Amino acid sequence: MSQVQEGARPAAPANPDASSTRPAPRVAWSRRLLTAGPPIALIALIVIFGAANSRFLSGSNARGIADQTAILLVLAIGMTFVILLGGIDLSVEGVMATSSLVVALLAANDRNSNDYGMLAVLAGVAAGALFGLVSGLLHTRLKIPSFMATLGMGAVGIGIATVLFAGRSPRVLDEGVRSWGLDKWWGFSPLTYVAVAVLIIGWLIQRFTRVGRYGYVIGGAEGIARLSGIPIMRYKTLAFIISGSTAGLAGAMAASRLGVGDVLIGGGQMFATITAVVVGGTLLQGGRGGVHKTAIGALIIAVLANGLILVGVEPYVQRSVQGVVIVIAVAATGWSLRTRTRTIK
Amino acid sequence: MAETVTVPPTERTRKAPSRQMIVTALPSVVLVALVLAVSVQQPSFLGPLSLRTLAESAAPIALIAIGVMFVILTGGIDLSVAVLTSLGTVLLALWMPSLGLLGVLLMIMAITAAGLLNGFVTAFAQVPSFVVTLGAMGLWSGVALGLSGASTISIGANHSLIGWLTGFRVGGVAISVYLTLGLGILVALGVRFLARGKSLHAIGLAENAALMSGVRTRRVRILAFGASGFFAALAATVLASSQYSGSPTLADALLLPAIAAVIVGGTAITGGVGGPLRTIIGTLVIGVLRVGMNALGVDPAYEQIVYGSVIIAAVALTLDRSRIGIVK
Amino acid sequence: MNGPVVEFRGVSKRFPGVLALDNVDVEIRPHEVVGLIGENGAGKSTLLKILSGVYQPDSGDLIVRGESRHLATPRHAAAAGIGMVHQEQSLIGTVSVAENILLGAEGSSVRGGVYNWKDLNQRAQRMLSKIDSQIRPTDRTEDLVLAQRQMVELAKALAVEERGDHEPVIVLDEPTSVLDGDDLETLFAEIERLRDIASVVFVSHRLDEVLRVSDRVYVMKDGRVVAERDPKAVDIAELYRLMVGRETAGEFYREDEQLEVDGAPDVIKVEGLGRKGAFKDVDLRVRAGEVVGLAGVEGSGREALSRALFGAEPFDVGQVLLDGARLKLGSPSDAVEAGIGYVPAERRVEGVAMGLSVEDNIVLADPGTISRRGIVIPSRRRQVVAEWIDRLRIKTVSTQTDVANLSGGNQQKVTLAKWLSSPRLRVLILDHPTRGLDVGAKEDVYTFIRKACAQGLAIILIADTIDETIALSHNVVVFRDGEITARFSAAPGRKPTQVQLVEAMV
Repeated sequence: MSQVQEGARPAAPANPDASSTRPAPRVAWSRRLLTAGPPIALIALIVIFGAANSRFLSGSNARGIADQTAILLVLAIGMTFVILLGGIDLSVEGVMATSSLVVALLAANDRNSNDYGMLAVLAGVAAGALFGLVSGLLHTRLKIPSFMATLGMGAVGIGIATVLFAGRSPRVLDEGVRSWGLDKWWGFSPLTYVAVAVLIIGWLIQRFTRVGRYGYVIGGAEGIARLSGIPIMRYKTLAFIISGSTAGLAGAMAASRLGVGDVLIGGGQMFATITAVVVGGTLLQGGRGGVHKTAIGALIIAVLANGLILVGVEPYVQRSVQGVVIVIAVAATGWSLRTRTRTIK
Repeated sequence: MAETVTVPPTERTRKAPSRQMIVTALPSVVLVALVLAVSVQQPSFLGPLSLRTLAESAAPIALIAIGVMFVILTGGIDLSVAVLTSLGTVLLALWMPSLGLLGVLLMIMAITAAGLLNGFVTAFAQVPSFVVTLGAMGLWSGVALGLSGASTISIGANHSLIGWLTGFRVGGVAISVYLTLGLGILVALGVRFLARGKSLHAIGLAENAALMSGVRTRRVRILAFGASGFFAALAATVLASSQYSGSPTLADALLLPAIAAVIVGGTAITGGVGGPLRTIIGTLVIGVLRVGMNALGVDPAYEQIVYGSVIIAAVALTLDRSRIGIVK
Repeated sequence: MNGPVVEFRGVSKRFPGVLALDNVDVEIRPHEVVGLIGENGAGKSTLLKILSGVYQPDSGDLIVRGESRHLATPRHAAAAGIGMVHQEQSLIGTVSVAENILLGAEGSSVRGGVYNWKDLNQRAQRMLSKIDSQIRPTDRTEDLVLAQRQMVELAKALAVEERGDHEPVIVLDEPTSVLDGDDLETLFAEIERLRDIASVVFVSHRLDEVLRVSDRVYVMKDGRVVAERDPKAVDIAELYRLMVGRETAGEFYREDEQLEVDGAPDVIKVEGLGRKGAFKDVDLRVRAGEVVGLAGVEGSGREALSRALFGAEPFDVGQVLLDGARLKLGSPSDAVEAGIGYVPAERRVEGVAMGLSVEDNIVLADPGTISRRGIVIPSRRRQVVAEWIDRLRIKTVSTQTDVANLSGGNQQKVTLAKWLSSPRLRVLILDHPTRGLDVGAKEDVYTFIRKACAQGLAIILIADTIDETIALSHNVVVFRDGEITARFSAAPGRKPTQVQLVEAMV
């Protein structure tokens, strides 16, 4: 939620994406960095950790990383759509919590006699979509900054989850649902395949639908989008619905893996998700990036997490590193836009 | 997040005075109404013990809230205050037993410095405050967990250095309450009587004009974040005093209530209006709300839902829509 | 198509404090290029904005292809076959050329939210072929160089053709201000080609360009169309006269109050100041009690210079000296502390702090005047505020009124009070100080400028009109494309003519 006042007459056109000179060397530089940086960083990390601990490069560890990345990737793909527009979704942990409890309570469990099987998973996704819808409406209709609206909705999500939790985690007894989390298909967890499927769907949406294409337009220069008559509120809300849905799916995935619905099931995911998106090369300011980049970002986060643990670093260092990375990424990508009279809130 | 383009209001007519008056008076009215409603349900609410508990539990939240209020006044947000408070309690538990009063001072300086760092990055890198403080939240949370080994640390010795804040009572109420009230009044006086006292409001309402009038907006912004850190440190002292320990997650849950307190008290998220005394009233409203929920027999599990909804509603109501062009 | 494609009949448009268009009659016929010339504020931009649906006329008719139309939004204008190429780039860098060309008008290429890329690219290719461009619809827009992006903008404007069955009207608003050399020639060639397939409206402050491409030109001044001419048969001097000729009443500008400054000391001196892309080799000096007027069209560098002198924008080379001492101008607060004040053109955003009271605004720049050792002295504040409200005749209900509730003229006076009330003020930079003010308020401002001079202040003035510049200044410096092209002494009785200035400006 930064506020830039466009009072001063711009010396150069206001839209930085359409710079009024040939792509100056430094602009091209930072763009090249954004595109090439993340894959290079990923390879570098793999090399470093592989050298530090040979177990890192083993097949079983690689499969483990893939499985660990599944939930993060699903979350990050949804988050990408919101961030592309220039917004943010801080509610993912709350949505995951509610979704996991919805799934745990609707599938066969040890607390009630429901037995909806895979429909329970759908219900979890739908719950997430509902959260996204509300967040989107609060943001577009009531003009509440997205970070504030989703912060509040996240709390509501934790709250609803707490109420459903009622003192004790309901355990999922449904074989079918649990098999998603526990089976192995050709060495990988089914959840990994789900994540890849979501990635493909996300990419298709980004490439072939209005939600995807207009995301770049609205995020790149909302004023131009408005002048072209694009119904901005609709697409912003849709982006939040997508983000909510993926959070709902992630909650269902976590419930199937852990076998319970829990309020804290999404712990730490918010930072990890945002970092994954940002590190992959999608600008927090919006307008540039994409799910294909987010996939690399998610791998980087997972590799980093896995590698650090193997090397013996405490897990909470992750969070600190992620916090710093987010700030550095935003600062670095926005560095050339700084001026004396720019008001960022 | 990111870019909210603020445009000056096109036609401001005489609606301004009455709206302002409502925004100022409403929180107090709501507070009184809530108190009456709760005491009807639970007459013991107005008893001395219950009021004392209310005031004393509100004090640390009010301190955090006043701190984050400085930043919100400029139009920004500080998401890291609660984590800084937690970190403060950890530092106190680690340093006070061996360093005594020096340990307390060091903690206050360290946490204030963390706040100043937030301000520095926001001002110089021109990164939105919510991004910087989100990152800070992650950073310091990890640090707190690391320093404390992810567990609560009892304060082994020298607790008496700060114990008087919550242990010693005057007129039935702990010193921490007077401290909070006193600071609130001090800040209010400062805003009114210091030559540059209105800088925060000026930046919140019309940053471009303030900048073009020679106001050192970067410096003011950095100081606002520093103040936020400072008050977080004070809140940490009060909490460590009452808990006899420090914990890396002690105050984390207080972020939402603190922000809610600021907004409910009448400080708009868009900045420019508000003050410490209003924030204290906002804190009391939140506190009474919590007691009221208890009194009505509402499951404490619903607390989060209420906080989330209250924040959203309060923000929506106090938002100054005439100054928001493009919201992100 | 026989009659004109577009007709403005008696169109007027008013904004608070200014009549932007006054009963304007303009015709645009098929297959012709119409040029619009006039000073800043003559009404060209307003006319274009009405044509492209950004503004709506207050009175009069806009007739498109024989039908009276109400173009409520840019989309309506596009639907009516009017495409505009804006002065600022309006392309999204991260999407393809085709997406930009058909932005918001994808129509049947997108069914049910899903893109048919083949179709979209084909349609975009049609537009690109029309202007004979080698650009591919699948190219990523930000990878193109500037001249190519201009072409895409042109193609985008042409795309309005698809919405109806008629030839479009293409509006070009200052398309050349960012081009040079070969790119310029390419654009002119394009405009020639466009004539066959559309009607074109061309606006530029560079007179020679407008005359070169247009079939007819309209001259606008003060919101009116004052003449229509054939560019091949027109006399440049006549054009200048038509553009700026005005009755200059010396009394209006209080010329008799202009004082002698020849022996006065230099207050501010600018040496070799330059900033890449904005201005270069600027040498200036302003003496105590002197008004130096900066003349030039928009974008000529004078605005950038004045902001650089106030620390609001940086400069790369040169130095600024105040009373002989080199100034550090890293930010506006540096300038203010040194004694430089700035009355900005964007009054409502940078001049007055909307939301703060009149009182708070007046003391904003120098709280030291009303405080001692950092503590405000309420009686002193009341006194200073009352004094300046009185001296500048600021009309406000109370000192606590929100400055947003004041009229434009009074807001400007508050801004002036803010600077003038500070005893440390040495230099005052005025950027379009009378813009949007009514006659009475303008006169007041002129009076205050004279009085400020009498007190020994140094004034740098960017005025709204040429005659303001001439009448108020002791010396006039003319800018064009970032450089100083002429200097004129403007002592009373020996003022330069408007034509002399305009020649150096365009």
